[in-house]
Amino acid sequence: MVADHQGRGHQGRIDPDALIDGPERRLICVDSSCIPWQDRTLNSNGVFLFLLEHHGKELLARHAVSVPAGVFVPLNGDVASYSPPAGPLVIKAQVAAGGRGKAGAIQRAASLEEANYIIARLSGSTVRGRPIHGFRVEQRVDFVHEAYVSLSVDATEARMRLMVSTDGGIDVEALASQGEALHSVLAHAQHLGDAALKLCAALPAPFRAALSDAAQRLSEIFVACEAILLEVNPLFILADGSWIVGDVKMVIDDNAIVRQPALQALLEQYPDIYTESARKLAHGFDYVEVDPDGEIGLITTGAGLSMQLMDELKAQGRRPVNFCDIRSGQFRGDPARLIAVMRWIVSRPNVRVVLVNIFAGITDLAEFARLLVEATAQVPELRVPIIARLIGRNLEEAIGILRASDRSVTVEPDLDRAIELTLATLDAQGVRRG
Amino acid sequence: MDSSLFEPAVPVIIQGITGRAGRTHAQLMQRYGTNVVGGVAASGSLAPIAGIPVFASCHEAVAKTGARASLIMVPPLKVLAAAEEALAGGIELLVCITEGVPVHDAVRLVRLARDRGAVCVGPSTPGIAIPGRMKIGFLPDAALVRGPIGVMSKSGTLSYEICYRLAQRGLGQSLWIGVGGDPVKGVRFGDLVSLFQDHAETRAVLLIGEIGGTEEEELAEALIAKEFNKPVFALLAGATAPEGVTMGHAGALIQGERGTAASKIVMLERAGVRVHATMGKIVEDVVQILL
Repeated sequence: MVADHQGRGHQGRIDPDALIDGPERRLICVDSSCIPWQDRTLNSNGVFLFLLEHHGKELLARHAVSVPAGVFVPLNGDVASYSPPAGPLVIKAQVAAGGRGKAGAIQRAASLEEANYIIARLSGSTVRGRPIHGFRVEQRVDFVHEAYVSLSVDATEARMRLMVSTDGGIDVEALASQGEALHSVLAHAQHLGDAALKLCAALPAPFRAALSDAAQRLSEIFVACEAILLEVNPLFILADGSWIVGDVKMVIDDNAIVRQPALQALLEQYPDIYTESARKLAHGFDYVEVDPDGEIGLITTGAGLSMQLMDELKAQGRRPVNFCDIRSGQFRGDPARLIAVMRWIVSRPNVRVVLVNIFAGITDLAEFARLLVEATAQVPELRVPIIARLIGRNLEEAIGILRASDRSVTVEPDLDRAIELTLATLDAQGVRRG
Repeated sequence: MDSSLFEPAVPVIIQGITGRAGRTHAQLMQRYGTNVVGGVAASGSLAPIAGIPVFASCHEAVAKTGARASLIMVPPLKVLAAAEEALAGGIELLVCITEGVPVHDAVRLVRLARDRGAVCVGPSTPGIAIPGRMKIGFLPDAALVRGPIGVMSKSGTLSYEICYRLAQRGLGQSLWIGVGGDPVKGVRFGDLVSLFQDHAETRAVLLIGEIGGTEEEELAEALIAKEFNKPVFALLAGATAPEGVTMGHAGALIQGERGTAASKIVMLERAGVRVHATMGKIVEDVVQILL
């Protein structure tokens, strides 16, 4: 780790250009904020889309960047049936997580038999809790050096950040913290190419040309694809001075997908891999399953309040199934979103209660109640108790509508009492707290 | 930041006033007391809406009405162009409530506003309000009550919930600014420290934060640097959100441990902020200290 957390941010205020041109020619400590891509799937902005390495490499290859020859092999697949490249091979588990090498999810195979053995052994397992979706079976690269290039969005500075290091590989953070050169520059999107050129001019001769070329071309792709993160690490430098992508991590902006046809096609092709993003694209709101074995289904509006509810339920030893920002203000008389969420929730076997929370600023609660009744009629298999915390416009009428319906819904205008009721419902069913 | 932009009579235009939501909120804001002086429609009818004149461009709207603020409520892919037009027309305060603005557009928008010395709230903000006097955006009337608490929030709904509960207990708000939950945004928590410090009606600050990003950490640093001397209460949502996986080295290289709930709590507490884990507890604490 290189950021100085007690640094009070002054390092982040220094113009990196000045540092790079300065006597030390290195910038290690960039105490600045950036997009929280690396370990967050939930925030008010919804979900960032982390591309599998295989898809990232396909995308780079389409932009004429060299990547090792490789094919996708599904779980438990027989490598020979998928036209693998000539050996020697590397078997790389495809999972939306970093640290695959250290987790044993990247392995060398000397033969197709060995490749199949590795695939059979890794299929069905997870890397840091994330499922493996398949494997990239790739030709091993004969390289002379490993370097590092990344592009990311710097949220605090409202500019793009390019980082280059002649020393890449899985321990790049450690190298950086030991004082190895990690060069960094902030630039506007349209100036990234120039910034890359200037930044790389300071690099030592054997790698200068390759890294300068890589930084410029990756910058173009980062901007063209509207990525949040594009990181090539390692970036292999070959004996002839050319470069090839060893591994790529790419985080895509969900909000930009509507004008990125290639990425949209990818989501539509692999909804089982990019579940949250595909859902958002198809339904227009955020739903993230956080615990498939959970007991409580949440039908809620508002990302922050939904997260807070999850926090408070978990603090009581209870397990919510999902995060949900259904955006009740956008229903326009259609129960489709409610029906979709109820179906996702009911597909989870341990759900014993559903908690609805709508703080209606503009939403008409009477209309919401009608849609809720309609949705429950469409999803009769959802038989567990529903506790609805409703507050806002037309509450009395909403209560009347829910009372008159066949489906029993408990309405409670106070959120803390609604939480207590939810907990009591689980206790009464004998579900033990964790 | 020019504090006169956050005064009740600031003249406001609405970009996208002829849309379904624009029409509704123009009238709700007007009824609330906001000085809505005009609207802008990129195409179609320029007939007034509820007596509010509609113009074909921001430039014209500003020239004819003296507007200083603009509420942007156009579709996400049109936000950048709308903001460019507003800034070129001389608007000093942008309030962008549109959700789903592409991040690269947000970067350009925020940069543009900063370069021009304008203030941009959002994107993805529920808006700002001086309760009982004016609101720009759609903060719900049920939660808006005049009082001593300055509010800064990433989350719309969670701030409604807490402010509603406090209002039930007799504690309202002096100035409420929803900074929005998008990672790339104009006004960040730390930018508001001086505004609330000098805001006579603000006796305390309520911070509604979330995991992710580094705004809470930046705020903690600004509170110390500016020797902020009013009590600050914080609720951070998402402390138990799935601790995911490190998806790149770039994040760790730049951000380190910042962004986690633990980092935010440590830094905020070091700055003297009263950080709470539950909605019930923060409300009780605010009531105890302020009443």
